Amino acid sequence: MDREILLEVKNLKVEFGAKKNKFTAVDGVSFHIYKGETFGLVGESGSGKTTIGRAIVRINEISDGEIIFKGKKISGKIDPQLDKEITRQIQMIFQDPIASLNERSKVDYIVSEGLYNIKNYKSEEERKQKVAKSLMDVGLLPEFASRFPHEFSGGQRQRIGVARALIMEPELIIADEPISALDVSIRAQVLNLLSELQREKGLTYLFIAHDLSVVRFITDRVAVIHKGKILELADTQEIFKNPLHPYTKALLSSIPLPDPKRERKKKLIEYNSNIHDYSIDKPKWVEIRHGHYIFGNEIEIEKWKKGLK
Amino acid sequence: MNKILSVDDLVIKFKLRGRILTALRGVSLEIFEGETLAIVGESGSGKSVLAKSFMGLLDNNGWIDSGSILYDRKDIAKYKNEKEWLTIRGKEIAMVFQEPMTSLNPLKTIGKQVEEAVELHQGLRGNDAKNEVITILENVGISNPQSRYSQYPHEFSGGMRQRVVIAIAIACKPKILICDEPTTALDVTIQAQFIKLLKELKNKYNLTIIYITHDLGVVANIADKIAVMYAGDIVEIGKCEEVFYNGQHPYTWALLSSLPQLGIKGQPLYSIKGTPPNLFYDIKGDAFAPRNEHALKIDFVERPPYFDVSPTHKARTWLLDQRAPKLEPPQSIRLLRKEWEAK
Amino acid sequence: MSVKIEKLSDGINENLFAFVKYNEIEAQRGGYSNYSYWKSTFKVFSQNKAAILFLIIMVVLLIFTVIQPYLPNQKSPTEISIDPQTNMQLRNHPPDKEFIFGTNSIGQDLWARIWSGTRTSLFIGLLVGLWEAILGIIIGALWGYVRQLDRIITEIYNVLDNIPTTIILILLTYIMRPSIGTMIFAMCMTGWLSMARFVRNQIVIIRDREYNLASRCLGTPTGRIITRNLLPYLVSVIMLRLALAIPAAIGSEVFLTYIGLGLPVSIPSLGNLINEGRAVMMVKQLRYQLIFPAIVLSLITISFYIIGNVFADAADPRNHV
Repeated sequence: MDREILLEVKNLKVEFGAKKNKFTAVDGVSFHIYKGETFGLVGESGSGKTTIGRAIVRINEISDGEIIFKGKKISGKIDPQLDKEITRQIQMIFQDPIASLNERSKVDYIVSEGLYNIKNYKSEEERKQKVAKSLMDVGLLPEFASRFPHEFSGGQRQRIGVARALIMEPELIIADEPISALDVSIRAQVLNLLSELQREKGLTYLFIAHDLSVVRFITDRVAVIHKGKILELADTQEIFKNPLHPYTKALLSSIPLPDPKRERKKKLIEYNSNIHDYSIDKPKWVEIRHGHYIFGNEIEIEKWKKGLK
Repeated sequence: MNKILSVDDLVIKFKLRGRILTALRGVSLEIFEGETLAIVGESGSGKSVLAKSFMGLLDNNGWIDSGSILYDRKDIAKYKNEKEWLTIRGKEIAMVFQEPMTSLNPLKTIGKQVEEAVELHQGLRGNDAKNEVITILENVGISNPQSRYSQYPHEFSGGMRQRVVIAIAIACKPKILICDEPTTALDVTIQAQFIKLLKELKNKYNLTIIYITHDLGVVANIADKIAVMYAGDIVEIGKCEEVFYNGQHPYTWALLSSLPQLGIKGQPLYSIKGTPPNLFYDIKGDAFAPRNEHALKIDFVERPPYFDVSPTHKARTWLLDQRAPKLEPPQSIRLLRKEWEAK
Repeated sequence: MSVKIEKLSDGINENLFAFVKYNEIEAQRGGYSNYSYWKSTFKVFSQNKAAILFLIIMVVLLIFTVIQPYLPNQKSPTEISIDPQTNMQLRNHPPDKEFIFGTNSIGQDLWARIWSGTRTSLFIGLLVGLWEAILGIIIGALWGYVRQLDRIITEIYNVLDNIPTTIILILLTYIMRPSIGTMIFAMCMTGWLSMARFVRNQIVIIRDREYNLASRCLGTPTGRIITRNLLPYLVSVIMLRLALAIPAAIGSEVFLTYIGLGLPVSIPSLGNLINEGRAVMMVKQLRYQLIFPAIVLSLITISFYIIGNVFADAADPRNHV
């Protein structure tokens, strides 16, 4: 299947801090995202997933590696014309519905902020129409444009954030834990909205999360990241059917099952990185089966191959 | 089993921006010793207010309008001053809050903070206190307790900090432990470990646990009894299996159906449209009616009473009335019902 | 606990047990409030009676200082009154019907002098306060937000901050002749530093909040991020500092006059008046020459303090009703 690759990340490395206290948040990460798919990036807090998302939209600077979008390099120094183009084509949805909207601005300004920057409209009338359409696309009433963020609930605010990104007509949306801060009953609203928008507008998503159950529902392929390194990457169904890396297994076992009988019988798997011995046999990024990649040394790969279903 | 906490028709109001908001609209509840009760509801359902009222931690602009809370045969709803509450707080009822970062004093070592609780509530001093602290830290799963004793909160991760908070709570040797959304701010893996820890501690220290959350998925493991709250009222309460496999209230169905674990890829996930009602206004009928796809006309007119489903399970919905039409619950609920029938 | 069906009232009709058509739009309507930031700010402000009182006092004072020269029977502040009977200067004349605040040691009407002095001091205070605010905010905002500028400006600040203000003021007054212009210039040169530092600290706190990252992601230029995202959050604290800057400027002026670097005696100011009053402080009958200007200065300082503090609290959206 020859699918178009929209985004490619090659050996991305992001470090923070000064020379002595360097902290490596992202340590040589590589993956690619096909046009039209939802790619999940799952890991705990501090794993580097948010840093990767922010590096792609150019909020964070990278220390090494490349990010390539539609064949063009977008990491590091790029010329202003390209910068302007990617501002429109790659957008981001943030985690915290309270902190991600400017409390002092009306929803009208918040949603049109991007439009003002790229001047993608000809008249005030057109701008207002775009705002109204954007709000309706996310299931909000156009009259909400004249209100302030604090008058809305968490789920509605998150949808305003989506409207803000959508109005730019992007091709790639980086959703950084868009539902983690919402009540479980509201999460479904936002997830459905994102799926629907993808179908209608042919969007591509990079969906960052720490909860595999959500990821299972919405993504096509998943990468599992731990302490700055991607440990396993495969089709979503494959990862749930055939998790190989012990960390992936631990993540899966911690999904709470809404089924008291099964949940009580379940044995929780915990992950300890000490089970790997990488002193002599160094680990590598290997395609263990078609489309299923894993990070491990030779001994581990052999063991996992045997365990494949 | 004997009753340890009994709430009767509790009404709590707040004065906000010059208007009165009714946060709890007549809540009744019985908690038995040694059981784990989960209180589940969205933000604004009143679950935190209920928990805080057990410890006298209501904000200054809130008050108990009517009703009673009987603990150990005393009506603690009548307690007015700090002196009375200090006999309950910590010693009898302890609480674990949502944000581990703000629950701990950043300027004191965690060992000292746990020790303070030990000294205050167990009356131990010096080395006796320190040894007790080390034991407790071990019990909550903090490795190398001797060296971690002298570390500060910022040297711990979020999950570890929450363990320290539990340590302080159980250092008081309380009868009831209230956990108010303790893992909402934590990763799913930490959450799972936390639930496991809570179960161990419950057995070891003979605790009665009240676990407050908005996530029904989390409580399947730990709850004996579940109370579902909406708009300041308990709409359904029953044993854990009864609520999961045989839920009766449309709101319970909605909460269960919207869990991604029950979702089918490719089909939209069930979601509850709209927002909770404005509690500044009096609510006519069933509070959930405007958002209820299976609402009856009477839901907008008259508040439903509790209907018994079993001696331990009841729900406040007109659908359980004899005169109500028969209703097929959503698909995900039908699947769960199969488990119930299989019993 | 639950109700048996038979007990339900007859008012409940059989046909109430029918399904209702689900209205999605209605489900969305939550509580709506017509909120305006400034209206709410003034509403909260006006609930504080003390602040309203002092605001009225200040407004009356300001109006009076402006219209005072045009009232009938006002003497010039520099005119030396001559006693018609003795043909001598009316020195140290105690307050009476003609000279409401009395005269000073060379016979000038204190009433006229005080109002003239208040005018001058307020003028200086306002100009310096405004300048401090504008320059301080601009530099502070850039300093706090633009990371590349952070190191350079921090170094410059450290150097400038360590030079004692007094020395700069003395130097400037020495080089340029003492006058209102010099005074304003000197205080402007030194005053903006602390405001800039303050604004910078506030901006550093909110700089990396998600809504600012969102703005960067959308391509919003730095200028607009500062004016629309950051400064509105600082209205509360900036107003406070502005309100306090005015009495502080007047206080500096008093201090400089005390050490002999203030305005020339020909230009009355609160500083001059207090200095002159201080000279005759020990003589009981002449104390009025110190008391009157001191009262006016205290009134101005307290008023601005209270108004500034209450406004700062009112401007904080968390206190909005």
